[in-house]
Amino acid sequence: MPQAEINRSAAAITEFCRFARESGLTNGVQQTLAALEVARTMECSDSQTFALALRAVLTSSKQEWDLFDRIFELFWGASLNASGHDSKDDEEPRFSAHRPTASPQALMAFSGSDSAEAEREGKAVSGASAQQRLQKVDLADVPQEDLLALEQISMRLFRKMSQRLSRRRRIRNFAEHIDVRRTIRRSISHGGDPIVLAFRSRKPRKHKLVIFLDVSGSMNSYSLFLVRFAYALQKSFKHVNTFLFSTNVVEITDLLHTRELPEALRGLSERAAGWAGGTKIGDSLRDFNRRQARKLLSNNTMFIILSDGWDTGEPEMLAAELRDIRRRAREIIWLNPLLGLEEYAPVTRGMSAALPHVDVFAPAHNLESLVALERYL
Amino acid sequence: MPISPTPPPDKQIKDVDELVLRFEQLGYVTDRALATAVFLVTRLGKSLLIEGHAGLGKTEVAKVLAAVLGTRLIRLQCYEGLDVNSAVYEWNYQKQLLAIKIEEKVERTVEEKEKHIFGKEFLLQRPLLQSILVEDASPVLLIDEIDRADEAFEAFLLELLSDFQITVPEMGTIKAKHVPYVILTSNRTRELSDALKRRCLYHWIDYPSYEKEMKIVRTRLPGIEEELGGQVVHFIQAVRQLDLAKSPGVTETLDCAQSAMALGKHCLDVQAVEETIGCVAKSMEDTAKLRAAGIEKMLS
Repeated sequence: MPQAEINRSAAAITEFCRFARESGLTNGVQQTLAALEVARTMECSDSQTFALALRAVLTSSKQEWDLFDRIFELFWGASLNASGHDSKDDEEPRFSAHRPTASPQALMAFSGSDSAEAEREGKAVSGASAQQRLQKVDLADVPQEDLLALEQISMRLFRKMSQRLSRRRRIRNFAEHIDVRRTIRRSISHGGDPIVLAFRSRKPRKHKLVIFLDVSGSMNSYSLFLVRFAYALQKSFKHVNTFLFSTNVVEITDLLHTRELPEALRGLSERAAGWAGGTKIGDSLRDFNRRQARKLLSNNTMFIILSDGWDTGEPEMLAAELRDIRRRAREIIWLNPLLGLEEYAPVTRGMSAALPHVDVFAPAHNLESLVALERYL
Repeated sequence: MPISPTPPPDKQIKDVDELVLRFEQLGYVTDRALATAVFLVTRLGKSLLIEGHAGLGKTEVAKVLAAVLGTRLIRLQCYEGLDVNSAVYEWNYQKQLLAIKIEEKVERTVEEKEKHIFGKEFLLQRPLLQSILVEDASPVLLIDEIDRADEAFEAFLLELLSDFQITVPEMGTIKAKHVPYVILTSNRTRELSDALKRRCLYHWIDYPSYEKEMKIVRTRLPGIEEELGGQVVHFIQAVRQLDLAKSPGVTETLDCAQSAMALGKHCLDVQAVEETIGCVAKSMEDTAKLRAAGIEKMLS
């Protein structure tokens, strides 16, 4: 067992804490102080134990716990894990690394530079009727010059929708229970007769939302609006976790947490994985189930899949993974842009395998249909 | 300034080795990493957050620690919707109502009456308040499955963990005489807030190695035949390599071994596994997966 010889002077430990912070741990001054205290209380322990103590103090999650060994080794030049079995597994690849792929040009066109925006504004569709028309038009058929107008309308509509969502909850909020504690308090002045009742109502609990967005080739013309839709939904839910998938999965939750959407979209293009490629819904869901489901799904989580159901993977796998999700989540909503086409029937192998596990199957081909979703949420 | 728990002097633990030993005497096989973390809890007065998969003995740590220190264990099981009423305190309403009725004829001002019915004897103590009111020595406070409680409760807990005092509006602030040793456990079903994590020492419990698991089996099931124990551990370790929805923890190992013993088995064969399969796989899909993977292959 390679013993780490640790210099326990305050200076060395402070230096190590600094090094750990720079290497990706989130320890702060408090942790440094704690580490110094450890050095004081554990004066006569062996180096191995001392190292373990430092790990307990400086880390605060599994990721950091795994990282610590490497940091330790780098700094002191000796391995912490003599026993070996502590970090045996879990060197899983992170939930999809940033993989530079061809950046989707459509995306950049959308987030457009300011000058282009100003230039186009004049030409943009105006007037109520045009707006009405744009709300109904299939997102895939929007002519290039109307895109900007549509974008503005969509932002406004989605914003309205999220406001409506929250107001609806407030109205529903009526008194359900008698608040005994306050009632007693008030009753004292009536000699103990509870004349004035105090009520207590359930605090409206917001649902959590997981959005699974298909960005494969067949969805190309819809994807960007759907990202916007996901962005808008963020405001009215407690948590929204958004994932893009085609043949693999990327989480973009953090990107959508910006105030300015264009900024978010720029970030997106850097991170997109297999944008406009093939689709493997089953595999993607499986990936999600393995890594994130336990953390994100609970009985107040809605799971929204935005996809056309053109799947090149195995339908059995898709069905099995959906069943898994269904068991953990409150509801699965599948939004399919193709459902807006009159002649469309969900008979593709993937879609028909998925349908039995889906609670709501609704169209998502134009803005109107997206806004109409409000009633399911 | 941080306040530290005070163990009774005779129960004080000298060093990590002693802690490992004391834990083992009580039937808890631990590794050095965990023992070090627990030792720091007793020394630094920081809380310890233990994360890991289900069934690996996270909760047990607190129980054994309480036994080692010879103090009380106070347990708060978290669940979704856990609120102050069931975690901290509640007024005994029935008793209060009765008291008001009884005092109706007594000549006292409203203020006096109010003071009376909001006295200590009308207060129902829930775990967190209990842990602060303990008179004689620092108790061990186990906050189990903190990831199940909602964020609001977590925020409340933060306040408690830094000051160890609780404010009851009708009574004023109650400060802990003896600061409890706090152990939090989490199954990682959601990410905890950074603020909470910052405040705690951290330990990740992983699945044990073959040797350690054998040791646990021997300690917990003293009557088990060496061969049977070895086979069970070997089998469970193989099952963990499968991609089950719920991987078996040490609890499952012990269950499986115990069931095999109860069934009078002397070695673990395919039939024995089939009979005890419910101890290992906890859903229909997992059972199917297990069978598909070939029980015989995993036993060899």
